[in-house]
Amino acid sequence: MTDLTTEQVGALAAALGLPATPDDLAEVTHRLNALIEALTPLAELPLEMVEPVPALGDPPRA
Amino acid sequence: MTADRTDLAFLGARQLAVLVRERKVSPVELTQLYLDRIERLDRALRAYITVLPDTALATARRAEAAVMRGARLGPLHGVPYAVKDQFDTAGVRTTSGSRIMEHHVPAEDATAIARLDAAGGILLGKLNLTEFALGGTQQFPFGQPRNPWNLEHDPGGSSSGSGIAVAAGLCGASLGEDTGGSVRSPASFCGVVGLRPTWSRVSRHGSFPLSWSMDTPGPLGRTVEDAAWLLQAIAGYDPKDPLSSREPVPDYARTLADGVRGLRIGIIRELTFGPETDAEVRGAVVEAARRLERLGAVTDEISLPLVPLAGAIFMALADSDGAGVHFRWLRTRAADYDQGTRRRLLTASLIPAAIQQRAARARALVCAEMRDALARHDLLLCPTAHQAAPPIAAAHGVITSRHEVAGRFFTRRSYVTPAALAGLPAIAVPCGFTWSGLPLSLQLIGRSFDEATVLRAAHAYEQECEWWRRRPPGAS
Repeated sequence: MTDLTTEQVGALAAALGLPATPDDLAEVTHRLNALIEALTPLAELPLEMVEPVPALGDPPRA
Repeated sequence: MTADRTDLAFLGARQLAVLVRERKVSPVELTQLYLDRIERLDRALRAYITVLPDTALATARRAEAAVMRGARLGPLHGVPYAVKDQFDTAGVRTTSGSRIMEHHVPAEDATAIARLDAAGGILLGKLNLTEFALGGTQQFPFGQPRNPWNLEHDPGGSSSGSGIAVAAGLCGASLGEDTGGSVRSPASFCGVVGLRPTWSRVSRHGSFPLSWSMDTPGPLGRTVEDAAWLLQAIAGYDPKDPLSSREPVPDYARTLADGVRGLRIGIIRELTFGPETDAEVRGAVVEAARRLERLGAVTDEISLPLVPLAGAIFMALADSDGAGVHFRWLRTRAADYDQGTRRRLLTASLIPAAIQQRAARARALVCAEMRDALARHDLLLCPTAHQAAPPIAAAHGVITSRHEVAGRFFTRRSYVTPAALAGLPAIAVPCGFTWSGLPLSLQLIGRSFDEATVLRAAHAYEQECEWWRRRPPGAS
């Protein structure tokens, strides 16, 4: 995924009705691009066969 | 104040309960002791948002009367405790660390509070936290919380006050809430014990939410025994939280002293020996593993390749949940949030669905990786944090690049979020100090609902090393 620009982030926020200052948008753009980049390695995992549901709270083993 | 009274403040919840029961100390005396210490020390530490001197002393007088008439006493009878201001308290304002909720006064206690009160605890007050239990607050609305070991350093979050108050002897024990490390991080930075129970082990009713599938109330104490006794009081099914577990609650104290002989402990290579882990942290944690070996545990190094990604996966998921919780206020009261909180929630609001879905699937793989490791081991071991408490200034300031984001948020979260993503119990226990005198912390992660083994191993290590006996320099 290519980097999002501040203008694109601003447009997304506006579409959701989320007010943001220019300084907010500059930082949010860094944060969003960093998160997307950090999760890029996940694309190499065999995720198609994995259900997106956490299996929480298993009872203890006997 | 005499040396003896100061010693009392640092004894820990369980020992205080024993002294009350044996009529060696009165609940009123204990409560006044902590109130005096809060008055003297908390101006600098800012552990508390709200102190409750009148109601605490009134409760203490009733507790004292119960002791004197020989009434049946709860396990924490007469012990002054404090709670993160994320938990509702009937008739007492509950801010969640935010100006948005500064006038919010709940009508009902959170279940965990009600259970601590039923166990005989005396509520001293409400503790400071990062805004809405998210990390990254820039300007704390109720004062900058500070680390008692060095006031210029971060106490950790989000249960910042819960860590500070226990470390500085400002309460007998505290309650925090751990979504992605919020009990264990302040425990680590402040040099106390912090337990994240299995998700659903403790009711979330009355706790301001962040992420439905990870939010977990948990105790902080001076000792592992304190954490065990607090967990005993708060654990168990609650009809007010439909996701709370009906799994029976064992007697944690009964097995606490069983030792670690024969326990298989896997040392997580990526977190213990990885390049992000500070050398002093690594040295202390490896030494702790050796200690556990000498006590009879069997350790080996294991690789969990997905674990370094846990921090980013966590933020994609938990922050998205948080963005949903805050959506209305983000639209109508954006300026009332702290700048750091607002920008984190704005970011989460804009995460593409495909990325969020990918993170959710990756979470399932992290869960499977942790579960497989715990099929072969009784416990997993790693540092609680990659470094000791950083300077407060390091976490402040505008973010100007994506690399700063990764350094400030993803890396450090990868140490505490694997247990959160997998819903597993995990404990932070002190394991030494840096050369500059800041606490270091060992993390032990166990199987679902097997807090007993987590507590028992942590207790064995703690008894061997006794780091908990050290006190912050300004707190005596």
